[in-house]
Amino acid sequence: MRFVLADQPPVTHPTVSLGCGNWCTFNYDSLISSALAVVVTVIAAILIARSMSSERPNRAQALAEWAFSYVRSTSKENAPDASSFVVPLAATIGFYILVANYLDFLPITLIPNLHPANTDVNQTAAMAVVVFVLLHWYNIRLRGFRGYLLYYTRPHELPVWARALFVPLNIIEEVVKPVTLSLRLFGNLLAGLLMIFVIGLLLPGPAAAVALAVWKLFDVLFIGLIQAFIFMLLTLVYFGLAREGFEQEHSH
Amino acid sequence: MDHLGAAMIAFGLALGGGAIGAAIGDGLAGNATINGVARQPEARGQLQGIMFIIIGLVEGMYFINLAFGALFVFSLGAK
Repeated sequence: MRFVLADQPPVTHPTVSLGCGNWCTFNYDSLISSALAVVVTVIAAILIARSMSSERPNRAQALAEWAFSYVRSTSKENAPDASSFVVPLAATIGFYILVANYLDFLPITLIPNLHPANTDVNQTAAMAVVVFVLLHWYNIRLRGFRGYLLYYTRPHELPVWARALFVPLNIIEEVVKPVTLSLRLFGNLLAGLLMIFVIGLLLPGPAAAVALAVWKLFDVLFIGLIQAFIFMLLTLVYFGLAREGFEQEHSH
Repeated sequence: MDHLGAAMIAFGLALGGGAIGAAIGDGLAGNATINGVARQPEARGQLQGIMFIIIGLVEGMYFINLAFGALFVFSLGAK
């Protein structure tokens, strides 16, 4: 008995085109997987929210409250005046990525068109673009448009000619942020999924079952949680970094 | 030599080089954590959390490497 139905690992995705070029071609397996993850996330969140009570908190509520208060305190430390919209954003992203990563626990090698949603770079890049756009909108709102342009001439204490030299470096730094944010998540998840396929293809039936159980308990449980946490934490940290130098500029 | 063979050799080199970097980075993170715990045993829980975050960040580079290598090899192989 084989544990893998597909004849090759899910590196290339099946696409469906609406007939207008690259911009409306969809990887429908990623759409199905992320839709499943979204539905599970929303239902879990609604169930936890409805079962909340201040007298007798259950375990799910305690866990959710602990996680949410952690996000809130981290956000208050890093970006105090952005926390009103950063906390919901980061908490949602973190929870959604966790659920999407844990789709690996399903027997994904036996189900066609289903894989952890973050093994498609389009999916992770979409989330990184949301963070990127919000980050720059926040930065413009914080400093005004002129201050936002001056922000690219950090560090502010240097003479003008040196600050001009720093402009390309700062632009690269801003562009690299969403790229590494998306590629880190994508690479980790795809490597885990490839390993699952390699185990399923190479080992005979029962050995593959044992090896898959061990691998999923180690890699998916652990790496999935850490990567979701890192994506969430870096979102918060980037909003904190956007304030860099803001206090000194406006204190004198 | 055909393209797939060349891609596989390149993939192997990238995996090896990336593994060196990730291993050194993990070792540095572990080293710093052990030093921290030896100096302040009560900070162990906090330090472990930070260590796992750093390890996740460090290994991120290696996994980007791996995923792109696999992407190139498999998309060439599928042709």
